[in-house]
Formats: sequence, C-alpha cells, structure tokens
Amino acid sequence: MKGDKNVNIQALKDMANKLRIDSIVATNASKSGHPTSCASMAEIMSVLFFHTMRYKISAPRDPSSDRFILSKGHAAPILYAAWAEAGLFPVEDLKNLRKFESDLEGHPTPRLSFIDVGTGSLGQGLAVAAGMAYVGKYFDQTPYRVYCLVGDGEAAEGSIWEALHFASHYKLDNLVVIFDVNRLGQSEPTSLQHQMDVYDARLKAFGFHSLVVDGHDVSELIKAFDEAATVTGKPTAVIAKTYKGKGFPNIEDKENWHGKALGAEGEKIIKHLQAQITDGGVSLSARAPTADAPRVHLRDVTLSAPPAYERAQRVATRLAYGTALRKLADTNMRVIALDGDTKNSTFSDKLRNAYPERYVECFIAEQTLVGVAMGAACRQRAIVFASTFAAFFTRTFDQVTSSTSSTSTTSPTSPT
Amino acid sequence: MGAISQSDMNLVGSHCGVSIGEDGPSQMGLEDLALFRAVPTATVFYPSDAVSTERAVELAANTKGICYIRTSRPETAIIYDSDTVFKVGEAKIVRESAQDKVLLIGAGITLHEALAAADDLQKKGVSARVLDPFTVKPLDERAVREHARAAGGRVVVVEDHYQAGGLGEAVLSALAAERDVVVRHLCVRSVPRSGAPAQLVDAFGLSARHVAAAAQELLQL
Repeated sequence: MKGDKNVNIQALKDMANKLRIDSIVATNASKSGHPTSCASMAEIMSVLFFHTMRYKISAPRDPSSDRFILSKGHAAPILYAAWAEAGLFPVEDLKNLRKFESDLEGHPTPRLSFIDVGTGSLGQGLAVAAGMAYVGKYFDQTPYRVYCLVGDGEAAEGSIWEALHFASHYKLDNLVVIFDVNRLGQSEPTSLQHQMDVYDARLKAFGFHSLVVDGHDVSELIKAFDEAATVTGKPTAVIAKTYKGKGFPNIEDKENWHGKALGAEGEKIIKHLQAQITDGGVSLSARAPTADAPRVHLRDVTLSAPPAYERAQRVATRLAYGTALRKLADTNMRVIALDGDTKNSTFSDKLRNAYPERYVECFIAEQTLVGVAMGAACRQRAIVFASTFAAFFTRTFDQVTSSTSSTSTTSPTSPT
Repeated sequence: MGAISQSDMNLVGSHCGVSIGEDGPSQMGLEDLALFRAVPTATVFYPSDAVSTERAVELAANTKGICYIRTSRPETAIIYDSDTVFKVGEAKIVRESAQDKVLLIGAGITLHEALAAADDLQKKGVSARVLDPFTVKPLDERAVREHARAAGGRVVVVEDHYQAGGLGEAVLSALAAERDVVVRHLCVRSVPRSGAPAQLVDAFGLSARHVAAAAQELLQL
C-alpha cells in the first residue's frame, strides 16, 4: 500500500477537471449526452483510473486486471475520457461520441475493447460485477479487484438490492460498489436525495463495509479505496456524496440539466474548469496488475461419456440436462452451474453433488442469477450454465437483452 | 478499438408448458420461446429426448452468444441412438416414407404426441412424416420447406407454448413464401389451469388425438 505522501493529489484533481472538460467537449460535439452525470463522478474516476486500479492499456480486457463496471451507463463520456487520458486512444477521438461511424456509443457496449458488458438499462451492472468478483475470488483466486459505479437514481431498482445481497452472502471482499449520490435523477430529485445516513444504514444492514465520503475530495476517495483493499470477509460500499454538474457554475446541483449537452454555456464552463487546473499537461498512467490470472481453456468442451440410454427407458429432458452438465464438468474445470434455488427440479444439482465448489446458489433472485452468469462468463473465465424454471426467465428479459449488447452482432456459430 | 466480446452464457429453463401439470399456470413457461427467439444473438435448443438433450448441452457449451435450452418435466421415451450426431440448425426426421401425406412438427413432449398421432393416422391408412427441429432458433428452414413439400404441402405444428413467438410461428415464417402449403398450428390458446399433465395436454389441444384430427382436416381440404 502506498502512503499518501507519495500521491500527487493535485495531479488527480487536475485529471478530474480534465475528465469534466473532455465530457463537455464530447457531449457538445454530439449535441447530446449526460455531462452533468459525468461531472458528479469526475474525482471518483480520476482516483480509480489514475491511482487505485491496476490494469493494462495494452490489453484493456486482460483477465489479470482490475475490472470497472459503469452501471450508470449514461455517464459513458467520462468513462471514455478516462481511457483516452490513460492513453488507449487519442483524446481528440472523444468528439466522435454517439456518431454512427464511431464505437463510442451513447451508452457503453462491448464493441469497445475496454467494455465487458453493455450497460445503460439501469440497475444491472452490480450483479455482473458480483459475477466477476465471484470468479476472481473463488475460481481465479487472483488479486484483481472489481469496481462498480452505481448511480443513486438506479439504486431504486430492486436488482441492485438483489445483487448487494448476493455480494454480501458470498463475502466478496474483492468487490467495491461506489454509490454516486448526486441527489438528482432524470426528472426530479431521487427519493433519498442526500440522506447519506440512510444509504449507510441500508448498506451496513446488507452486510457491507460501508463508508460515506465526500465524493469530490480526492484524498478521502484514496483513503476509502485503500481501506476497502484491507477489508476481508465483506464487500465495501463507498457512498460518495456528490453534486450533479459539479464544477459547472449555475448548473451544479440544479434540476432540469439531466441528459443535456451544455451548448453555448460549455465554452465558459470549460474556461472556468481550466482555470482550476494547475498543470494543463498533467498525464498519469495506469498501474500494472500484481499477479497473473490463471490460463484457462474453454474451447472444445465434450461430455465425459456419450449418452447412455436404452430405447425402453423413459427419461425427462430436465434430468438429462443434469446428467450432461455433470459430464461436461468432468472434462473441464471451468464448467460452472448457477441456479435460483430450483436445483433439485432443474437437476443442476447433479453438478453440485459432484463438484460442490463449482456450483453457485443464487437463491430466488433470477435477475441476479442472469447478471452473475453474465459477469462470470466475461473475459473468457468460465463456461456458465444458469438454470431455473422457464417461467422465471421472463423477469430476466432485461438482463438477457443486455447480454446481447454484450455480444457480437454476428450470428452465433456452431462449433467446428 | 473495435474488438467485440462474446459473452457465452447458457440459460436452461425447465418446467415448460402445461405439461408440468398440477402446479398451475404461474409455474408454466409459456412465453419463453418467444422471449429468447426475439433476441438476435440467441440460439434456442428445444430437445425432445434425453440423448438430444445431452448433445444440446454439449453444443451450447461450445456455441458463441447466448444459448437457451428448454427442458420438460414429464418423462419421455428415448428417440435417438446414443451415437446420433446433432448440429445447431439441423432438424431430424424421425419418421418418413415415400407415401407421406402430412408433415407433423413437434418438440419436447409434443414431438411424442406427434409420433403417437402418426401411429393413429397410419392405422387409418395415412402416412405422416415427423420432424424434430432440435433448435427452434436457428430453425432448419430448409428442412421444414423440403419436407412440407414432400408431404403434399400439409403441415401440423404442435407446441406446449402460447401462440405468439414459439415454434409454430417460426415454422409459419419459414413457409411464408411457399406456394401450396397449408399449416395448422396447435398451441396453448388460453390461460391454463392446474390438472394432471396428460389431462392438460389433451384439454389444451396438444395431444395425439388433436394432432391426428388436425392432419385429417388438412387432408379434407
């Protein structure tokens, strides 16, 4: 752990304002987007991407790297800005935001080399992050960490609370959830506004190591993330009190600025932000991962034995599923099964009985079941089978459609 | 930039349709095929016996994108030899003759109803061809068209699913541009209720006698 005295606090403050400026420039170029939603998380992004997180610019989806999931996907411009400022692509390219010819889409999709899952349908990112953290802690057993930024607006989604329950139950101490509590939703203030004590009490009740911080104080954020890294046996929630449009005079903390480019105001605000930057040429780089994730082989998976039935037999296809799942698991250590407390009906318990460490009970929380499955499958870490009653996948349709913006637009191909 | 990730997630839904029986409609998957067929990157398996189910699981593990496997609660007969090879998008013809007058298409429990209907029809002197789609998406549209034509342009498709978006509509889409083909679509057309599985399969019009009757009606046209 680096001591604070080694950290250039001013450089991180400058970077936060650069990220704000980048977000204004990009959204003004596209004449649309969410610059005020970016501004509230500028210091969080600066600290995560230029101090806390360990990752590789040369390989944005390297399995050994820390993961960052932007659950509030509408703040995409500042995520793109962070990767550009870290050196992945020219900052100038940010002006192509939302253009048909560019992969810098309105909300993040995995067309981009540094995005694991599509976000933007709110409330979904945390279950995905929990799936990644589960794999990191229990399968990869590699010290990469998972950071998920959740907006306070989307904290009203039930799927967030399902995922918190999952993360806490499985003691995912490699997971940090950052709540960007900027007080304002799209059309009005959020239900809790800046009642930080209420968030804190809820997160503690859910079994999190919870910290309330000033989300615009770089030093406090550094301390919080450092502390999170020392916590064992529970995930950490960093509840950041922030202001929507922070640093934008006459816009900060004001309603009716959600999802609007700043337009003519933008130039004045950029000058205002530039005046606060002490080193305009500030350049910070990513820290490298500390350990390599194990190499895994996920291709050409086969049943350990061919189907073995007599013509006179009568067998339910659900039972044959369990039999086959177990036979796949025999031949590949990374075949895992998830279920929503129906394992003795779907017969996913066949895998659990043979390889209990490769079974993940998601309890009766199907949105989390599918979100965790998506996260566990990311970066080619595992072959994931998630089962429940067919009827109960209907409530996961949002996750299922998001998974399609997490995949290629080409048709699925059969194995050769 | 530009590399596109492939999230390989396999979802498996059991207890599809009215054939689960006594638990009633809240536990019956009756829209799941519509849901997953609507997803552009999805592959949808609907295996009809234990052999093909095991191979569906193996194929899903090796298939890019989201895979959905629909499984059933009732015990059903083994249709295939253990060494049968299955492929995504490749249907199986489980019964055929040169005299076939109608094509019966079913999946899961309804494939077994279609086979029983083919037995009944045979007793009445009508030869029926029976097709198992194996994957509903992609559907083996070429096989559906080819065998529909070979069976005199008469098709009965039967599924344990609501009318919209399931196997029946997939078959109808495949045949939309075919001249001289008529299709009867048997499916669950109202909200079901509790009851014994076989009782519900019959009451909602999916049983062998309904399939045979639909085939006979087509022969009258």
